[in-house]
Amino acid sequence: MKTILEASNISKTYGKKGTAAYTAIRDLSFSMNEGEFIGIMGPSGSGKTTLLNMVATLDPMTSGEITIDGISVSAMNEDQLSDFRSQNLGFIFQDFNLLENMTVFENIALPLSLRNTKLEKIQAGVHQVSAILGIGDLLEKYPAELSGGQKQRTAIARSLIHEPTLLLADEPTGALDSQNAATLLDTLADLNAERKVSILMVTHDPRSASYCSRLLFIKDGKLDRELFPAGTREEFHQEILAVLGDLDRRPVAGVRI
Amino acid sequence: MILKLAFNGLKKKQRDYLILFTGLIISIAVFYMFLTMSLNKEFILQNSVINNIQAVFLVGTVMLSIITFFYLFYTNSFLLSLRKKEYGLYELIGAKKFQIRRVFQIETMAITAISLAIGLMLGIILARLVSWLLMNSLNVEFTQFKIVYLPAVFWTMAYFLTASFITSTVHNTRLAKSSIIELLHSDMHNDGIPAEPKGSALQILLGIFFLGIGYSALYFMEQLRFIGLFTAPAATTLGTYLLFTALLPNIVRNWKRNKRANFKGLHSFTSGQLNFRLSSLKWVLATIAMLIALSAGAIAGGFAFKNNAFTSIDEYWQYDATLYNPGAAETAVLNSIPVDEQLTFRMKLDDEFMYLVQEELNASPPLIRDFVTYEVVRPDPLPEKLDIVDGSQIISDQWFTALYAINPALEGTKSTRIVPLEEYELAEGEEISILLARTDDFSAYIGEWQKLDELQLDVYTDLFTGFDPKTDSVATKYSQFKAQYAIASGTFFMGFFLGLAFLTMMASILMFKILSGASNDIRRYDSLRKLGVRRRLLENSIYREILVVFLFPGILGLLHVFVGMRMFTFIMDDPYYRLWVSILIFLAIYGGYYFFAVHLYRKIVLPRQ
Repeated sequence: MKTILEASNISKTYGKKGTAAYTAIRDLSFSMNEGEFIGIMGPSGSGKTTLLNMVATLDPMTSGEITIDGISVSAMNEDQLSDFRSQNLGFIFQDFNLLENMTVFENIALPLSLRNTKLEKIQAGVHQVSAILGIGDLLEKYPAELSGGQKQRTAIARSLIHEPTLLLADEPTGALDSQNAATLLDTLADLNAERKVSILMVTHDPRSASYCSRLLFIKDGKLDRELFPAGTREEFHQEILAVLGDLDRRPVAGVRI
Repeated sequence: MILKLAFNGLKKKQRDYLILFTGLIISIAVFYMFLTMSLNKEFILQNSVINNIQAVFLVGTVMLSIITFFYLFYTNSFLLSLRKKEYGLYELIGAKKFQIRRVFQIETMAITAISLAIGLMLGIILARLVSWLLMNSLNVEFTQFKIVYLPAVFWTMAYFLTASFITSTVHNTRLAKSSIIELLHSDMHNDGIPAEPKGSALQILLGIFFLGIGYSALYFMEQLRFIGLFTAPAATTLGTYLLFTALLPNIVRNWKRNKRANFKGLHSFTSGQLNFRLSSLKWVLATIAMLIALSAGAIAGGFAFKNNAFTSIDEYWQYDATLYNPGAAETAVLNSIPVDEQLTFRMKLDDEFMYLVQEELNASPPLIRDFVTYEVVRPDPLPEKLDIVDGSQIISDQWFTALYAINPALEGTKSTRIVPLEEYELAEGEEISILLARTDDFSAYIGEWQKLDELQLDVYTDLFTGFDPKTDSVATKYSQFKAQYAIASGTFFMGFFLGLAFLTMMASILMFKILSGASNDIRRYDSLRKLGVRRRLLENSIYREILVVFLFPGILGLLHVFVGMRMFTFIMDDPYYRLWVSILIFLAIYGGYYFFAVHLYRKIVLPRQ
């Protein structure tokens, strides 16, 4: 199977030398195969969002190397990173990050517009992806007119239209009610199963995590353990809850609870 | 404690206040300069030429104070609206309303006080500059003029402190009436989705219709007179508002309709921004178009008026110099310049009459402007026999005008008798010779005319009993030009600085409006950056977006000026004289504001490099 993401010995330290530095990620390595749906979990402050931001090329790492689809992003300049993101990555955020001044159609079309794709191709692409996500009749609306679930579907459509190598999701169900969250996760799982979309998702919600094909638990900036689903989703859910409980019980570095 | 809060608040909103400052400081400086020019008492008494200029500057002061009041009112309400949440927060933690009011009041007054300090200093420099420029262009010395004039300082401070006290009191009272919840949630508003325009075609037509009426009124101002004076501003303003509110949202809508262009690069984002922005800004932009018309009009008007001093003087005076008993000195001056035409007439004065030689007049009739046909002509020869009715000789209107041209100093003081040469020789009385000289360009030899006027003072003292060169004057083309030119120069500076003050205030309102939306935009630009849009592309989008916002009112405002300048045809010969200079000055200032707005906006919405 093809490896699409390789993170080797990456570290992230905030604060300049000499001042009180804070290490968010220390010497972390993992790799991801094409078609995987990986969840990153961990307590607050464990460094999961930092990790995602580094993979997303939004936050430069202090040391180590990240390779996506065989391309190392460590040495790229700002413009190269921008181009890389727009071509290889898709994003879904907790607060959707839709552009409120553009219609759903325009929002979804943006990644293709940015590559100056032909109008006919843009229109075909938007109609196709919006049909998959069930928002085909909302295309002329503005985000302010949509429900939370519809907004997140629009965001997914936008993140998929340019067929990125890797879809990155940061707490995608964070702003949704449980009903909408379940529908959304089903959609992500379907996309992953049927269309082989590779997804890397940060979440603190065990229910969301139970949809993944592999879970990475981060604690104090380090990979604590890995978990693979066995049995039903509900069993996996229970297992995740047990692991999280265990993580919480163990003392945080240097502090006894 | 409250003072501390107030100054912390000031620090936090530095950027917004800086924009308010620029408008306020320029306004204060110009206000002070106008007042100094119009109130300097000693300066009035000493200088008759300047007398008229002072009235001009007083008019400028009044106009400036009206607009400034609205400016203060608007900016104050705007700044307070930015701080509603803070106000609610103070209330939440238990501060009394009167305490919070005091905080905001102290802030506003502090800003005004700081602006006054800087503005007055700038005003003193301006007064120095303008008085120096006036002295040079009028060739006079303002010995008694005081640059630092305490009454002007006092009135400037009194006006601005009172105005800002009134506006801040009004707004604070309004704020105190809103509920805590309302205040706390004030920053969580979403831009309204631009509504599908209804009946906009009709509104656009109406807008064009009223603009048409306004423009025709401006164009035919000479015929319409008072009706035009009221119709033109009313219809133009109405048309501008109608057109802007209906047209602006539609223009962007049309851009968006061109899908091929819209879905290219960041265009869909830029036009989306504009779609929202123009919908919410349409009223402000219409107001700004009118203010642009006023400010560019004031600059252009002042400029044209100054030029008018040259052209209008030629309308009424066909001869550049009228010399009584010219001596060697006068002849020497005349010989130093190319004279196109030179006429000499003789005149005798006795106790009752002024005698002129009929043959001389018929031999060289002087050029006059006919008051009926308005053409420059020479009068037809005088008939041999001139009737006398009620003690006056009956002559044609053209000759009547001609006699004034020949003898501007004395004509009308005594009854004129045009007599044949033989009769003239017999007449008693002192003989005076009068020389009329004409060049092809009066304005080219101002220095010579001035010298001739000075030389003539001795002749006047000899000829006219009781003539005192210190207090009396004789109407000459040059002296009349000098008086006109003084008013025109005053108007020029007044117009220029009034326009400048309007322009700064207008531009700061526009910048306020653009930048107040910027904090909402931070998230949008951040999203785009995450999606992989290059910084360059984002910057281009900003440049383009703000350019459109600046462009619309700029274009319509300038169009108003182009048409509106025609209004002055009935007091000026060529209101369009070098209009491009005024337009260039305007564009430079306006363009400067555009780049400044882009710079500030960019600093807010894009992360540091």
